[in-house]
Amino acid sequence: MPMSCLEACTAIAKDRSDDIIVSTMTAMFAISRVSPSPLNISSVPLMGGASGIGLGLALSRPDRRIIILDGDASLLMELGSLATIAGQAPGKFLHFVFNNNRQFSGTGNLDRPAGESFDFAASALAAGYAGAVRISTLDELEKNLPELRQRKGPTLVELKIKSGQPRGPDTPQPDIPDLQFQRMGNEARQLQAALI
Amino acid sequence: MTELRDHAIPASVLVASFLAEGVDYVTTVPDFVQISLHSALVDHDDVDVVLCANENQALTSAFGLTIGGKTPLVVMQNQGLLNCLNTLRSVSLDAGFPFVLCVGQFGREFSTLGVDPNASRRNCVNKVEPVLEALGLPYWRLESEADLGNVADAFSSARKRQGTSVLLVGAYTSWN
Repeated sequence: MPMSCLEACTAIAKDRSDDIIVSTMTAMFAISRVSPSPLNISSVPLMGGASGIGLGLALSRPDRRIIILDGDASLLMELGSLATIAGQAPGKFLHFVFNNNRQFSGTGNLDRPAGESFDFAASALAAGYAGAVRISTLDELEKNLPELRQRKGPTLVELKIKSGQPRGPDTPQPDIPDLQFQRMGNEARQLQAALI
Repeated sequence: MTELRDHAIPASVLVASFLAEGVDYVTTVPDFVQISLHSALVDHDDVDVVLCANENQALTSAFGLTIGGKTPLVVMQNQGLLNCLNTLRSVSLDAGFPFVLCVGQFGREFSTLGVDPNASRRNCVNKVEPVLEALGLPYWRLESEADLGNVADAFSSARKRQGTSVLLVGAYTSWN
């Protein structure tokens, strides 16, 4: 049975130590809830930006493990980033893709391009990632995380995630607060200070 | 008559100007106007070049590098600049981090060298400065070697404002 975004983030954050976590979309809210840290940075509002931000961090701080919590539709926007990352081959780069086959999971639950047939793990391997796996259950994720952390990257882990309940006429979209637009810069300055 | 050689800035001189500003990384989608600069950067031992699949990645990886303590230069073409406006909005305007972009004016007619680049008939040239002005991003032209002081000005301004500066390379860089 597919896991929830919150369950996946809880498992990934459990032994994060001083790992830097770059997140986006739904995972951004989940990781903030289960593992708030100055070593978190959100790609927001910037769909597709997480993998590139993570690459820059990986190159500048090769001593740190960089964990990316990417969205499926987000990575599709910047699928070429797989080649960009493979070209640099950062060794401590663990790239999770939360695949719920939806755009705006838990808000709109709209279809995304290519649907279930798109294979992110195969795409990463074809691009030149050192490794890639597909994981369908929370139990499987928890069992494999210790080994995945130790692998020489870049490694992509495609997670099968269940989508949230969509909004409808009774739950209209919210007014987006200013914080959403200030968040990435604030977190970037916080992370920069933490890395000095 | 205006000659290209009067406007082509030597790649080696540009590289020296960037190194003087502390540049240690270049993130780029290579630009036809700056091919000799690209080659000189790739060959230089003191600079690491990150080849990107598109300009959004050049910006986001430069953002990550800056957070991690490096000084990246982002090199792209005018078409690339127009391709990554939303990422530029996010990492430059919203996040407020200092970057310098070096943008080649691909398609600029030789007949417009030495005059206002906005006199170009091509949209990918004549729309660049208006777009930057609309975004509120300051830019400096590199029209010939006489403009090299603009490199230091662009970096200084980016640091002072904690924002993005753009260098516009008006003619093919030369191989010397």
